[in-house]
Amino acid sequence: MIYDRNNLPEELLNLPASDFEALYREDIKDEKFQTKPVGFFKDAAIRLTKSKVSIIAFIIIGIIIILAIVVPPLSPYGFNDQNINAKYLPPKMPIVEKLGIMDGTRVLKSRKVSALTDPERYPEGSVIEYFNVVTVKGQEMCDVRIDAYKMAGVPDNEYHWFGTDYLGRDLLTRLFKGTRISLLIAFFSVLTNVFIGVVYGAISGYYGGKIDLILTHFAEVLDGMPYIVVTILFMILFGSGMVSIVLALTITGWIGTSRLIRAQFYRFKGREYVLAARTLGVSDRTLIFRHILPNCVGPLITRAMIAIPGAIFSESFLAYLGLGIKPPNPSIGVLLSDGQSVLLQYPYQTVFPAILISVLMIAFNLFSNGLRDALDPTKRGEE
Amino acid sequence: MAETMKSEMMNAEAAGAAAPEKDVILSVRDLRISFRAYGGLVQAVRGVSFDLYRGETLAIVGESGSGKSVSIKAIMGILANNAIIESGEILYDGKDLTKVKEDDFHEIRGHRIGLIFQDPLSALNPIMKIGKQITEVLRLKKGVSKAEAKEKALELMRVVGIPDVEQRFDQYPFQFSGGMRQRIVIAIALAGDPEILICDEPTTALDVTVQAKILEQINQIKKDRNLSVIFITHDLGVVANMADRVNVMYAGKIVETGTSEEIFFEPAHPYTWALLSSMPDLQTKDRLNAIPGTPPNMIFPPKGDAFAPRNAYALKIDHEKEPPMFKITETHAAATWLLHPQAANSRVEMPASLKARIERMKRSGGFNG
Amino acid sequence: MADSEYILEVKNLCQYFTSGRGRKKLTVKAVDDVTFSVRRAETFGLVGESGCGKTTTGRTIIRLYNPTSGEVTFEGQDIAGKMTRNLRKFLTSNIAMIFQDPIESLNPKMTIEEIVGEGLKVRGQNDRSEIRRQVVQMLNKVGLVEEHATRYPHEFSGGQRQRIGIARAIITNPKMVIADEPVSALDVSVQAQVINLLNDLKEEMGLTILFIAHNLSVVKYFSDRIGVMYYGHLVEVAKGDDLYQKPLHPYTRALLSAIPEPNPLTERTRVRIDYVPERDHDYSKEQPSMVEVEPEHFVYCSPSELEKYREIIQNA
Repeated sequence: MIYDRNNLPEELLNLPASDFEALYREDIKDEKFQTKPVGFFKDAAIRLTKSKVSIIAFIIIGIIIILAIVVPPLSPYGFNDQNINAKYLPPKMPIVEKLGIMDGTRVLKSRKVSALTDPERYPEGSVIEYFNVVTVKGQEMCDVRIDAYKMAGVPDNEYHWFGTDYLGRDLLTRLFKGTRISLLIAFFSVLTNVFIGVVYGAISGYYGGKIDLILTHFAEVLDGMPYIVVTILFMILFGSGMVSIVLALTITGWIGTSRLIRAQFYRFKGREYVLAARTLGVSDRTLIFRHILPNCVGPLITRAMIAIPGAIFSESFLAYLGLGIKPPNPSIGVLLSDGQSVLLQYPYQTVFPAILISVLMIAFNLFSNGLRDALDPTKRGEE
Repeated sequence: MAETMKSEMMNAEAAGAAAPEKDVILSVRDLRISFRAYGGLVQAVRGVSFDLYRGETLAIVGESGSGKSVSIKAIMGILANNAIIESGEILYDGKDLTKVKEDDFHEIRGHRIGLIFQDPLSALNPIMKIGKQITEVLRLKKGVSKAEAKEKALELMRVVGIPDVEQRFDQYPFQFSGGMRQRIVIAIALAGDPEILICDEPTTALDVTVQAKILEQINQIKKDRNLSVIFITHDLGVVANMADRVNVMYAGKIVETGTSEEIFFEPAHPYTWALLSSMPDLQTKDRLNAIPGTPPNMIFPPKGDAFAPRNAYALKIDHEKEPPMFKITETHAAATWLLHPQAANSRVEMPASLKARIERMKRSGGFNG
Repeated sequence: MADSEYILEVKNLCQYFTSGRGRKKLTVKAVDDVTFSVRRAETFGLVGESGCGKTTTGRTIIRLYNPTSGEVTFEGQDIAGKMTRNLRKFLTSNIAMIFQDPIESLNPKMTIEEIVGEGLKVRGQNDRSEIRRQVVQMLNKVGLVEEHATRYPHEFSGGQRQRIGIARAIITNPKMVIADEPVSALDVSVQAQVINLLNDLKEEMGLTILFIAHNLSVVKYFSDRIGVMYYGHLVEVAKGDDLYQKPLHPYTRALLSAIPEPNPLTERTRVRIDYVPERDHDYSKEQPSMVEVEPEHFVYCSPSELEKYREIIQNA
């Protein structure tokens, strides 16, 4: 709408004369901000919480960590309490048992029907039902569902939610004790990896030139050696404790981080703000730690988060090969390894650790994906 | 030439409802666009209306964040995902472009309306030969044969001033200099044989000597093909070189519209004054009239005239009430209360230094004169 | 020695960058045999198009790069030699730099106070309240307010960031500032703010400024003398008005003819001059060198070109 100045509509005519006073303001300063300051991490947090998947993954990780902390001390069984009578007990869980699953029963195949009434072999109440009766060579044989708890003579109020292993150890306690150890191994190995990787990559990337050449070649040589062989040699040399597993995972684990950091340093060291700091006479150390490194934090955190499930998996893998943590300590890998040897007879021993490690890895991966997006500086301020 | 332009437009309402017999090729009506962002809605375009006439160059001037790029992105149908067209229409060829679906937009974008970006490197596919990139557009449209397309592409490359076209045809973008890349982008934009060419700061990334050549080229092509051009820039020198008409934008609104002469020699809006006097030319010796402060945060656009908080010449009413567009001539209008009849008492005039500079500009032929 | 007319003298400065090795070795002569001097409290403008070596010249002087060869003296002291602790100290306390990109030149993870106060910290100032006081004072000087000190760079507009960059450069009271395209990335409406600010600071602090830009109008307005660079060479040095009225080197003429002026009348009649080195110079028989054609007006030319230029000057 364009108004003719000689033919103005009513509402624009005869405005108060004072309105047309010229203010002639001389000293116009920059205004204060109307918005609240939003720091880098706050902005990232805002975007992270917008992603439902990340939140769910985060909650799952949180629950598992809490369980790993809480379950072993609260459990009535110690992770290494052996009970030779209560070995190979199937899972039995209050309330759920009424649904017909995890009720502590097991099917024994091809038993003599006649023996079912022998209280020596089948204590009272231990036989629930029998079926598939066939006669083989004049013997009546059947499959029988038994209450393994009663059969083992375990008191009625004793529950092993995830069952017991070949030494009668409570698998629930062992699983979460194992989770705790696996997480600790993963956490510490990632921490050492990140530490070594950052220092190595920073030096390599910041100084460049000959130093960079030597350092990168060394890392390449190390990376070229077969990982498993190196690790096995390492474990043979230092034995299998938590520390040595962490170290074994570190031998080549830091190389990825150092490459990332080196690339980031190459990217940032030519930035004008780094040059500006150099013209001010800022020392190399300050440049590395105050100016460049904080800008690599996003990718670094993301990488570390992605590395955790990787480390858990590597640890399980080593355990599976029999290079795991020293018994009787469990880890998820040790449990899986033990479970798979009796997989066909007692599948529950493998199922629970397998589910846990899968959930844990998926959750960590999804969460780190969300984290990567949230920390991506190009997406700042977006909804 | 300026005279004929002026007389042509004397009859046309500068931005009012376009009469059908006038050759308005594109018409933007009360366009409002916002962006969702953390902290609220960014009101990028707040009621923009303008017409583009056939065969003219319309320059849209404004600083970053003034909404000039957003407006033309809306015309091209390439707004970001978090953009909301709140109201308004873009009339072209009997259609409202704000309502055209993405699937149908391909018919218009690149074919009827061509676009030249600011950064030629990001507009080109780095791993595809230059010739292929041009012929691709040609073949997409008409289903012409490969040989015909190549012939046409070579011709287009000659038109935009690329030497040794036969040899250049099989080269990749990285083998071209910045200026040459921009010529390729222009050739691609022309390949669809558009009638409207939108140039979004096409020379900002280029050196002055290259810029001058590219601008000459665009002017020549425009003349030869009778194109209508929308030219987005913040460089007033470029505007003076290219534009028949100028829209000055600030904070999502057009604050002044007029012919090139009117904007440069009879500016009416304090923001236009400020723009004209804030940059030194080769004769400037005095202190520059800097515009104080910073552009407003468009999540919270200021009350009244958006420029008032930075305007040394603001009236009281500017801080309270938004000024409407006042007509100055048939082609010239500005949104400032200074044009209201009652403002005569306030005796606010354009700064003396600007007045002197305009006088000097009118007299001198400049360096080349 | 400190009372010499010139505060900065650059003699035959070369900065070559090499990449690759062996057969694939490639040498780029970013700065090739550049000689000029800057007077005390003067603004010396360096113009040229991208890739002409003007930025490299500035960065080499402040020793972001180690020069390939040539001499640079500041206040009579050699600053092109081997980097020592003392030289670093001398350099950083005397010369500061303002950068081009208002987004890139401020560390996104640091607050404004940390950014501006860094120079003080480097100089051993550890009293936080004193740093704060000086930072706020400096922010006020560049038109910002105390509240801004705790903010992060991304919250500021381009013009504000550039002013923060200026505050960072001058908080340590340098004698000379190298301003590398300080306004070219800014919106037109805020360029003037920054130019005026630099002008004020120059007056107030008696700063010597090496002003690097590609916009000749801005350089002309801001500088006392101007050097024009083309592909690593300094081709012409003159006072602003002389350069504008009597451009001698064909590249200077081409550059001047290409600047768009905000004036539709002159723009419509613009005649652009092309610069084609192979056509405009014949250096097959004579070697060009930097010659003073008239007082304070140097051109890179061969003896026969010099004749021609002298004629032009006389007729002007």
